[in-house]
Amino acid sequence: MYHTPVLPMGMEARNIQLIIMDMFSSQAILHINKWVLVRIQTAAGYQCSGYVDQNNYWHDGSGGSYSLQHSNYPFEHTNSTTTSNTTASSVHYQQAPNHWSANYGAAVSNVIPTPGSGNMVATTVPISTYPSQNLNGGYSYASSQPPPPGTTSWRGNLSSPLLPSSKAPDDMSKFLNTCAVEKTSTVHNYRLNQIPLDLQKPLKSNLPSGENHEGSGNDTYTNVPPSSLQISQASLNPQQPLQAVSVMDARRVSKMQIPTNPRIASSLALGMPKLDKESSTTNAAAKPAYISVQVPKLHNQLSSSDNADANVKALPPSVCDYVRRCLSRCKDDASRTACQLMLSELIAKAKDDGSLWTKNWDLEPPLPLANSSSDATNLNILQNTVSSITKFPNKRSKSRWEPVAEEKLDSKFAPVNLESSKNVSWAERMAGSRILEGMDNGWTSMKFPLVQQQSTLIKSSEKPVKKQRLFGPLSTTENDSNSAEGGKEPELNTHHSSAITLANSPEEKKKREHRSRRFDKSQESHADTEQFKPKGAGVANIYLRRASAMLLAKNFDDRCGRAVEDMDWDALTVKGTCQEIEKRYLRLTSAPDPATVRPEEILEKALSMVQTSQKNYYYKCDQLKSIRQDLTVQRIQNELTVKVYETHARLALEAGDLPEFNQCQSQLKRLYAEGIKGCRMEFSAYNLLCVILHSNNKRDLLSSMNSLSYEAKQDEAVKLALAVRSAVSLGNYVLFFRLYKSAPSLFTCLMDLHVEKMRFEAIKCMSKSYRPTVPEDCEEWLRAHGAVLAVDSYGELQLDTKASSLTLYMPEPEDAVAHGDANLAVDDFLARAS
Amino acid sequence: MMRIRIDNRPAMRIKAVHPLQLKLSFVFLFYLQINSLIYQEEKQSFRTHDSRRGNESVATGVSMSAMAYVSMGEAHRRITDFLFRFSEAVSSQDGAALKPLLAVSSNSALLLSLADALNVFQDWGRLVKQADRNSVQLGEILTPFLRCIQNYRMERFVETYVTFEKSANAFLQEFRNWETAWALDAMYTVAHEIRVLAELADKELASTGKNPEKLQGAGSFLMKVFGSLAGKGPKRVGALYVTSQLFKVYFKLGTVHLCRSVIRSIETAKIFDFEEFPTSDKVTYMYYTGRLEVYNENFIAADQKLTYALMHCNSEHASNLRMILKYLVPVKLSIGILPTMCLLDKYNLAEYTDIVNSLRSGDLRLLRKALNEHEDQFLRTGVYLVLEKLELQVYQRLVKKIHFIQKQRDPGKAHQIKLDLIVKALKWLEVEMDVDEVECIMAILIHKNLMKGYFAHKSKVVVLSKQDPFPKLKGKPVST
Repeated sequence: MYHTPVLPMGMEARNIQLIIMDMFSSQAILHINKWVLVRIQTAAGYQCSGYVDQNNYWHDGSGGSYSLQHSNYPFEHTNSTTTSNTTASSVHYQQAPNHWSANYGAAVSNVIPTPGSGNMVATTVPISTYPSQNLNGGYSYASSQPPPPGTTSWRGNLSSPLLPSSKAPDDMSKFLNTCAVEKTSTVHNYRLNQIPLDLQKPLKSNLPSGENHEGSGNDTYTNVPPSSLQISQASLNPQQPLQAVSVMDARRVSKMQIPTNPRIASSLALGMPKLDKESSTTNAAAKPAYISVQVPKLHNQLSSSDNADANVKALPPSVCDYVRRCLSRCKDDASRTACQLMLSELIAKAKDDGSLWTKNWDLEPPLPLANSSSDATNLNILQNTVSSITKFPNKRSKSRWEPVAEEKLDSKFAPVNLESSKNVSWAERMAGSRILEGMDNGWTSMKFPLVQQQSTLIKSSEKPVKKQRLFGPLSTTENDSNSAEGGKEPELNTHHSSAITLANSPEEKKKREHRSRRFDKSQESHADTEQFKPKGAGVANIYLRRASAMLLAKNFDDRCGRAVEDMDWDALTVKGTCQEIEKRYLRLTSAPDPATVRPEEILEKALSMVQTSQKNYYYKCDQLKSIRQDLTVQRIQNELTVKVYETHARLALEAGDLPEFNQCQSQLKRLYAEGIKGCRMEFSAYNLLCVILHSNNKRDLLSSMNSLSYEAKQDEAVKLALAVRSAVSLGNYVLFFRLYKSAPSLFTCLMDLHVEKMRFEAIKCMSKSYRPTVPEDCEEWLRAHGAVLAVDSYGELQLDTKASSLTLYMPEPEDAVAHGDANLAVDDFLARAS
Repeated sequence: MMRIRIDNRPAMRIKAVHPLQLKLSFVFLFYLQINSLIYQEEKQSFRTHDSRRGNESVATGVSMSAMAYVSMGEAHRRITDFLFRFSEAVSSQDGAALKPLLAVSSNSALLLSLADALNVFQDWGRLVKQADRNSVQLGEILTPFLRCIQNYRMERFVETYVTFEKSANAFLQEFRNWETAWALDAMYTVAHEIRVLAELADKELASTGKNPEKLQGAGSFLMKVFGSLAGKGPKRVGALYVTSQLFKVYFKLGTVHLCRSVIRSIETAKIFDFEEFPTSDKVTYMYYTGRLEVYNENFIAADQKLTYALMHCNSEHASNLRMILKYLVPVKLSIGILPTMCLLDKYNLAEYTDIVNSLRSGDLRLLRKALNEHEDQFLRTGVYLVLEKLELQVYQRLVKKIHFIQKQRDPGKAHQIKLDLIVKALKWLEVEMDVDEVECIMAILIHKNLMKGYFAHKSKVVVLSKQDPFPKLKGKPVST
């Protein structure tokens, strides 16, 4: 939306370029612009005038990416303008597809897979898929086929926007109009709006507020966070600026732009007037000639993609969307199941009467059960859809990434790329890089260099020809459409026999088919595994995250300065704002969110809360761990930190949680070494005891003894520890148990772990050296250790030392676990979890 | 900084003196310096005694005299001379000639004067390039090496180390390609130098509050050297020297566990025949591995190794002998073998005197006092825990003495020692222990086979065996 100001100016391609340059001041953009220009010039062959050409370029380069923004815009347009425009839309649609097909031929393929695989690839898909989606879903949906179930929603939405975007603004507007005319189309738009919009909530303001569609569309609009918008834009293409401009044009300035664009020339002329008059209603009629030519193609493509989807899924994506939409509104399981029932009925019915593929599901009002608030729906949708994009908005809203926003975004995109690269052609990857660039553009000129680097990085990994690189996004889209087509070719042909001819040279076709096959395969598998599986989505997201992290790291290597800083703790150090005293420990898997981090004062309270708490150790341990985490992420290292660790260490000792104790101990060692005050002596005594009793490493013992200062040796606790040590090393069990008795409780806790061993040593020693008997009063223990006991003439129990010396043994501890750490035992885990 | 240093040198103050006089005074000064340096180093570490290093530092008066002031021409001459000697040594494969040229920390007149010359003739890089063109490709070794010499002279040890390591890596590269072992001596020097320089660098780093990590780097370089030597070729005899250097590094770093891999390859690899190595290296190796065994309280093995080291160590190197004995004495004590006092005197091992005496007399108090007195030292050398365990032997001695006295007084009950008696004896020694504790000690003595017999709990009497009630350890450690 920020483009809007630009739009008025950007009537001419050149102007647009200039503007873009101004706006973003990024070289990349310039390049793009140039490229676009060139393209335009070369594009002459196309029927469309300059505008169209531009559109084409975009399609070529970034086709898919466009779509998002465009879609949003167009929708808005249409929406705002009115639904009445609908009729013309079909034609427009066709145009767009035609362009695509003609120019790129294959474009759709990548996208196509999306319906099935949508969830999986979701993040990646948006970009790559857009073009195809646009082709398929947006228009096609509107015109002919309902989208495949579930997954497709994205596409449908995306795709519809794409088409408009891809077309010249005029086209766009027309499209929109046309779409509007057909209710289905409007639905599409609406759909589109929803999804993209959701992402782009922030955009809201930019977008003309909610008139888009009748129902929920508005809401969706509002939901979209700005970031997402940007993202989508970015993703669109390097040429986003242009696109954006175009979009803008379409929306608001259409009149102006059209006239201004010299290149648009002929075709424009037709469309223009209408646009000028009123973008809302008139456009549809205006487009006639060239539109008509293209229409068939569009249809074909769209349909093909749809078909492919259908093949994969048997349900059109729009239906899936619809189902999801409906389900997502359900607030609880009961309503959900009810809704499911109703939906299945509905779909069955639709199948029966053949409206399944013809009905515009996007327009279909949600089932009555549904919650009226579209926001909720959107949210749900977001959550449900695996796509990273959806996730982003959420994230954004949390502001978790705020401090490093750009980086994060990049990274997010990156993952997409990585992901996509697995299944998808390099072109898609290219698209990804494009996206990155685009993002940068969208964001700010400042970041641009970085982004560029990134994108170049990505590019560098791929060998593609330069040309391809330039066209990256577009080609991706092509591929997408191709693949879609490939799978569905036969059906498509039947549906729209007339259309395809334009773009398809035989070789092209072949290629396309080949590519599409590849895609379908991967997509299919994706779809199988991922569709409708929220968990799968989660996994995908995890992968994305990881990939993004990796990419981030990679980028860091290449970028200097800022990026490295971002990775650095310094940059990630947060200042907590959370005011809650109690907080569960959750291991961080990403940058900390200040909103969930407690500042020092609160932490202090939390500590005293834990200290006075009556709850069990697991609760306290959990709390202390979260306190420690908060301290760490805020890099607080002072006496409070020491106190927390000391408290935790003591509690751990009490509970016999040695691993946790060791963690605290090592932290404390470091903190003490930094000169922070605390109960240093006490803990060096613990440390000594630990080394003595639990590791048999003489060198460690020596070095820790050697490191004791003179003062330390005078300390009571340390003295005690040293006494214990000497008792142990000499095997003086009497002394040991005396110390054990007299030692402070925490010492006892540490020694506890050694007592059993010492006791056994003692009994062994005694049974060997004492004759004939020793009076005994702990029968149970002795018997458990194989001692031979006898009752003497006075009726007292005696240990038969001679016999026992041969039979004594150390029984296996009963609570021993195979992995050696009793703390990992299931019971404990459950106790902790509860 | 350079300037200040030069000004401080006595040489600078005698500018107007006759050249000959100057020359003489310098020679004298220099010798003083060298001697003191050697002395210092002796104190620092166990020295591998051979003629491999240090001796080259004998000054030639000529080069010394130029230290005060070096003309451009002279500087040029010295640098080219050095470069020539270096490349000549390499091309003629003369290890002995190459060795002194690499000994940065030897403070040899040659290198000191070279450093001065390098400071005067700033454009020495050109000379290196020239030499490079004319002869062997040594630029990669020489350029960082000369920089290293310069840094060393200016006491910038961190840079010294960094540059030396660069040069050493290049040298190692070349060294790998030399089939024969002619450069082994030079490699020894490099290995030694890198360790010494790393220690200096770490000291400097630590003093500026940075992380001293150079010694670690030196360790990994030495591992590389070890790898280049551990083969079938004639160079394999050098492996043990490098191993010794590695030991020194690891012991200093406190990462002795890293020694294990090296030891394993030395002791198990078929390419190595231990007897084939030079004696001095064998001694060093045995010394360090013996120390490791002391840490593990593996007294028999420690005894063997340290004894080997002692027997093969050059008897003129008293300090080395002393260092071996520092570990050997406690080891021998713990297996029941006491040294003569004269040995302790001769090698200045006074810290053990009291301990030996306490073992002789059964004076527990004396043992504790001695341990207390030298605690720091014993902890540092790592024998504290070993010495502490001698306590049981002291108890044994004490009971033995009581037994003797009792025998004289009441031969009939010679083998029955009342617990009270022992408690009383300990009280005389100002060791406060109650009956229970003493009972425990007696039980332990019997359990550990330091005393034969049994303890009658009811009557609180130790009943000794009539045959050899106090068996001697005879070279075996106390059973556990």
